[in-house]
Amino acid sequence: MDLDESYVDDRRERANEPLYIPPIAAEPTTSINLAQTLFQPSEFDESLEDQLAQSISSCDRRHPLVSTEIPNVFPHRYDKNFLILTSAGKPIYAMKDGDGTIAYMGVIHTIMNYFKLKEDQDLRCIENGDVRFAFLDREPIVLVAYSARGETSNELFSQLDFLHSYLLSSLSERQLSKIFSKRQNFDLRNFLESTDFENLDEICSLLCERLYPDALLGALRSLSMKKSHRAQLHEAMSQQLTKEKDLPRGTLLYGLIVAPENKLCSVLRPKGHTLHTTDLHLLFCLIFHRFQNLDDSQELWVPICFPKFNANGFLYGYIKFLPKCNSILVLISAQKDAFFNLKSFADHLIKDISSNGLLEEIHKAKGFKISDIPAPLVHHFIYKSKKHVQYVMPELELHSDTEPEQLIELERKFMTYYQQIHNSVVRDDGLAFNKSCLNFIRWDSDAIEPSEEPIAMLGLGWITPKFELYLICNNGVDDKHVIFESAKRIISWCRKHESRLFVNEGAIF
Amino acid sequence: MNSSVTSIKLVLLGEAAVGKSSIVLRFVSNDFSENKEPTIGAAFLTQRVNIGEQTVKFEIWDTAGQERFASLAPMYYRNAQAALVVYDITKPQSFIKARHWVKELHEQASKGIVIALVGNKLDMIENGGERKVAKEEAEKLAEEEGLLFFETSAKSGENVNEVFLGIGEKIPIKKPGEQANEQSGLRITDDQRVDLTNSVNGPVRSAGCNC
Repeated sequence: MDLDESYVDDRRERANEPLYIPPIAAEPTTSINLAQTLFQPSEFDESLEDQLAQSISSCDRRHPLVSTEIPNVFPHRYDKNFLILTSAGKPIYAMKDGDGTIAYMGVIHTIMNYFKLKEDQDLRCIENGDVRFAFLDREPIVLVAYSARGETSNELFSQLDFLHSYLLSSLSERQLSKIFSKRQNFDLRNFLESTDFENLDEICSLLCERLYPDALLGALRSLSMKKSHRAQLHEAMSQQLTKEKDLPRGTLLYGLIVAPENKLCSVLRPKGHTLHTTDLHLLFCLIFHRFQNLDDSQELWVPICFPKFNANGFLYGYIKFLPKCNSILVLISAQKDAFFNLKSFADHLIKDISSNGLLEEIHKAKGFKISDIPAPLVHHFIYKSKKHVQYVMPELELHSDTEPEQLIELERKFMTYYQQIHNSVVRDDGLAFNKSCLNFIRWDSDAIEPSEEPIAMLGLGWITPKFELYLICNNGVDDKHVIFESAKRIISWCRKHESRLFVNEGAIF
Repeated sequence: MNSSVTSIKLVLLGEAAVGKSSIVLRFVSNDFSENKEPTIGAAFLTQRVNIGEQTVKFEIWDTAGQERFASLAPMYYRNAQAALVVYDITKPQSFIKARHWVKELHEQASKGIVIALVGNKLDMIENGGERKVAKEEAEKLAEEEGLLFFETSAKSGENVNEVFLGIGEKIPIKKPGEQANEQSGLRITDDQRVDLTNSVNGPVRSAGCNC
């Protein structure tokens, strides 16, 4: 792969000796409390001045390539795989090397059963050096993750649960148990369709290759848009629901507008009910992979099982691509013949919100840039509002001619930083060390060639009962005081613009 | 101005990957895309065409061919006035499936349903591919079961519009007796549906006479 110099930060890795930072370096080198942070003297030396200058210039729109300043300190190719098999040991799916891994399925099956019989408990996790195996037994399906990425067991379990949930969303628990109660050694591959394998591939690639913190944080990404516009949108939804006399009560369970990149734009929901985040992740994945090429002449009627809502039954989704804004309207019902009722609701709603220009407003909502926030030396961040179960992050600023491989490279690098920052503030079971917890994490490496900058990357993870903040600094920044101040500014900025950044209540009926 | 628009509810059935969505895409948007993704669930589309003096609005259910969704099919053909049973002329298996669909429609769908048997992917033969379903065999089935029969190519567009026009002409748009009523302003709606149960036995006049 021949990459353009300007985007790639791993020049060193292409030298004969690939740069490899032992995972120990990825663990927090410093763990300090608030007081220490506040009183740490800020040494304003020359290198910092340079960094500052760089940071300022990076805010300049003529130089949008801030990302090039962030080096990749992680090994290039992570060894990671997901395997899915039946409880009888028959292979269903492998993320990579399908043929090669089939041989191991029998071994895995034997080991798991050994623990069940001998120890009378389920095998959950095996660690060997940097490598970790995680096992999830969801009779009649068994899922195994193998990773050398340094994820916590909990993170691997939640990834496996996501894959399992996908299978349920496609087949439903009832159908699965029906199949396997008849024949335990059923080969599920014969029952799954090509689209299932494609969807599994896509989910695995989201989990392993992309900047997809949704699963890690258990939150949805929200679309930033003007408070008044979102309010109008919700008002239009509520109004339409009261106007629609032909729509019997209970037909519509849930309505959503989803903007590109799976950003939640608005929600219509019954009082006191919300859908589980995992269910929405699955729905968004389906929309993202399957229906991106829709044009506005078609409307879809799709049966989908929401495993966290009801793993045994199917709900039906009316899916329509909205003209003028690349977004998708989803209306969910429990009745399989409700299509025309929902279609009429959708037609009127769309007519309404396109006549008053709201569709264009959705299209215009472009998110925000890191330079919109007065947070010096911060390169990128993720802010999760726990109340909303949603997160926001600045748009990646990319050159127009960025190749898809370069984008993936960049996203994977960001995601690895965030995973490690996240893991530095949570225990292996996924809970935070404390109700409130703040930690700096640092990645260091000398420059291999004198002409290059040494790597000195600083990250911050901050968890409180109200929010979670994860941030990555520009390379070479080491002033924790400045970073802490920037972190506080990001938080107050996010809070100030809360109603713009997050979908609050939605339209409730 | 159209005096009335008649809706025809139409459903597409057939094995996965025979080109159902491509036929609809050709008919509705006059477009084609290689490697179209499989349909999940079902897609609903509409298209208006003029047949003679009459404007017909096709309300099309493009169903998923995947076996898993087969149990949902009755929901789509239950009230349909027309069905396209599609197979791939290079895949004998898809023709067997087509026979099953024709049988099921005759047993389960409404009595007067107009069925068109459609052998798709004609372009593959023209480009040197091997035909696996003989035209005679399909014609024979069509004759026995009283189906319209077409061979089409969604890729080149060949014969696609003819299928829909053929269906539009075969479905009795209106009985002469109703004309008077409509002209005097009764029972005219923008979304009038053809009442099959009444019109099957009545005098059938295809196209025209909408003066």
